[in-house]
Amino acid sequence: MIQPEHVAEDEWVDWYRLTPLQRWLESERLWQTYLALGGSLDPEPDTQSPFFDARASRPRTAHGWTGVRVLRRRGI
Amino acid sequence: MGGQACVFYGAAEFSRDADFAILADAANLVRLGTALADLQADVVAVPPFESKYLRRGHAIHFRCQHAEAPGMRVDVMSVMRGVEPFSKLWRRRTTIELPDGTTGDLLALPDLVQAKKTQRDKDWPMIRRLVEAHYFQHRGKPATAQITFWLRELRTPALLVEIARRRTRLCRRLIPTRPLLAAAVARRADEIERALREEEIAERERDKRYWLPLKKELERLRHA
Repeated sequence: MIQPEHVAEDEWVDWYRLTPLQRWLESERLWQTYLALGGSLDPEPDTQSPFFDARASRPRTAHGWTGVRVLRRRGI
Repeated sequence: MGGQACVFYGAAEFSRDADFAILADAANLVRLGTALADLQADVVAVPPFESKYLRRGHAIHFRCQHAEAPGMRVDVMSVMRGVEPFSKLWRRRTTIELPDGTTGDLLALPDLVQAKKTQRDKDWPMIRRLVEAHYFQHRGKPATAQITFWLRELRTPALLVEIARRRTRLCRRLIPTRPLLAAAVARRADEIERALREEEIAERERDKRYWLPLKKELERLRHA
């Protein structure tokens, strides 16, 4: 019998093994972290979406940043 | 119907908006209008919030200003390509209850999978994850309807071969609706892989054709 690890990467295997409710709560936790870091609620521009409008203006966060930023990166 | 439902069923999408499938009849639109007013939500793009646009398959986009949901985006749709009418979606919905007692209604998994068959790259790995997760969760003692769903929607060659080996007769019966199942019966994973790519390309083309007149209408509205 094929096991999840035969067809999916480790992080997905872990995700599959959670119950639906556990996944929901994990997602909520991720959201709280994202918002605490100043993440923007504006959807990422999706050029493949039929609703995409290249000319639409996009509101900025109050501090003028685009949301979560990389302050330092090591390696690639 | 979007990211939140995907998370529940086993995929993962970091969606920054909340997508709702709604019944676009007059009474329900009044209720929706009241809820949106509570959220201090305004329309942020075309089309305007009118039932005729919802019935034609457009999405209406809102942004909330309420202190508890500042800047949150809400998208509302009533008709989706290839997806059953709302009355059927509602009958088949999944109702969840969160630890704080809040309840919510999600599209049933087969309906969510249909809704995700779009022209966008990001939706196709999502479909694969959704059906894989369902398979691993339920394969112990599956109902025939579940096996049929997997045979129709799985996008993982090895799992299709596994099911075809165990349920060959059912798999053969479904070949007219999904020709790549013939390769699953023959245990040819590379052929299934090729056919899955072709299936995706064809579906994405159908989605683009479906949206062509709607996109033209959106363009007209933007310049009106």
